[in-house]
Amino acid sequence: MNRPVGIEAMNVFGGMAYLDVRELCDHRGLDMPRFENLLMQEKTVALPYEDPVTFAVNAAKPVVDSLTAEERGRIEMVVTCTESGIDFGKSLSTYLHRYLDLPSNCRLFEIKQACYSGSAGLQMAVNFVLSQTSPGGKALVVTTDISRFALADANAVQEWAYSEPSSGAGAVAMLVSDTPHILQIDPGAYGNHAFEVMDTCRPGPDTEAGDADLSLMAYLDCCAGAYDDYARRVDGVDFRDTFSQLCFHTPFGGMVKGAHRHLMRKLYKAKPAEIAEDFETRLGPSLAYGKRVGNTAGGSVFVALAGTIDAIDLSEPQRIGLFSYGSGCCSEFFSGVVGPDGAERLKSMGISKALDDRYRLSIADYEKLLSGDAVVRFGTKDAELDHDIIPGAWPVAGKGDRLVLDTVAGYHRNYIWV
Amino acid sequence: MDSDQIVEIIIAEIRETVPELAEQAIGRDDSMADLGVDSIERSEIILAAMEQLGLKIPMVQLHGPRNIGELADLLLAKSSG
Repeated sequence: MNRPVGIEAMNVFGGMAYLDVRELCDHRGLDMPRFENLLMQEKTVALPYEDPVTFAVNAAKPVVDSLTAEERGRIEMVVTCTESGIDFGKSLSTYLHRYLDLPSNCRLFEIKQACYSGSAGLQMAVNFVLSQTSPGGKALVVTTDISRFALADANAVQEWAYSEPSSGAGAVAMLVSDTPHILQIDPGAYGNHAFEVMDTCRPGPDTEAGDADLSLMAYLDCCAGAYDDYARRVDGVDFRDTFSQLCFHTPFGGMVKGAHRHLMRKLYKAKPAEIAEDFETRLGPSLAYGKRVGNTAGGSVFVALAGTIDAIDLSEPQRIGLFSYGSGCCSEFFSGVVGPDGAERLKSMGISKALDDRYRLSIADYEKLLSGDAVVRFGTKDAELDHDIIPGAWPVAGKGDRLVLDTVAGYHRNYIWV
Repeated sequence: MDSDQIVEIIIAEIRETVPELAEQAIGRDDSMADLGVDSIERSEIILAAMEQLGLKIPMVQLHGPRNIGELADLLLAKSSG
């Protein structure tokens, strides 16, 4: 019955350029007296020739390239998880299938539920493997989200307020199979909490809207509710002792801190000093990459997972508790075990190095991108991308392993390797 | 318990959560955001007030008040019903 299942291989792609968040806040005149509490440092900014497809493919390529031809031939499902889709009908997975050169006997589709999408995709893949309808089959789950703050007039800037510094971009690729080297999922150990609420949304192709207070409240309700449901299913679980590390959906670190405090008070009436120490120990490592890319929406909880695996000592296997929340809203608390082998495999992806290698945008660069002229909007029929828009960001010494958008012809996006 | 007593509870929690406001005059017409209390701190203050009132309801039901007085009125209504 307890057949192994989980994440076999994993990679995070944090884009080609980033902005210093403190610099942005100073530039916007955002009064943030306790800025440090928010636990934000950098945010990835998608360049005009980076879109959800390039992010997803660039995350997945090292994972797929590390497989033998036979293993690659067992990828039988590609699930793209996103709230940044580029077409109402054609899924992003079709582009992934082409540029990753995957087998033709493959299920391709895209799923959406705000920032919960990645966990939804992972659970679908886990259940595909557990069902044994195709023994030995693998599923590629890729989260990919970008925030675009285009059409920057003064009103828009006012309206974005604090969502601008926290919104990032990034993709996470996860190969799910019955050989879970990175994270062995605890099958059947999960809890959900969901209800209808209008906290944040993407009501138009290039717009985001929301209410930060309501979203925070829904997140806190869900964190407690999903954990309660997990505890209902899993005998003898203790939030403090069962999980040696925790990874939460991270809009920004401060929100995770608030949710952790809420749980520790609710479950144990814990005092501030104990809460602070526990946060540093069990959640501090999870912020390693999130504070460098910003909120990556569907992938955020897995960006946290990658940060934890790369940051902690994994000479012994550790159980990790994961909490995923997506506005609107749906949430899940689930868990898995990571060991020394997983740590070594993830390190081989060089996630931290790739983040270091991103181009640092100046405020002038960023403002130029915000003016929006170069952005390929939803529904664009024809376009030719200006690869020189930010000269320093273009990879002049590229090894032909990074995908960028080149043209759009008759709605069809054409990409090139650079 | 009346609305003014709940206002006092909220103000005490504000001062506890944001020590910078310890000396500041705060009244029921003030909004926490205008006082410089950030969204994470606001949620902490509301949770602490709920705890003191023994109120166990989803937080999203407490969304909407524009100032401390309105929040107190809503907490009172939820407590009694």
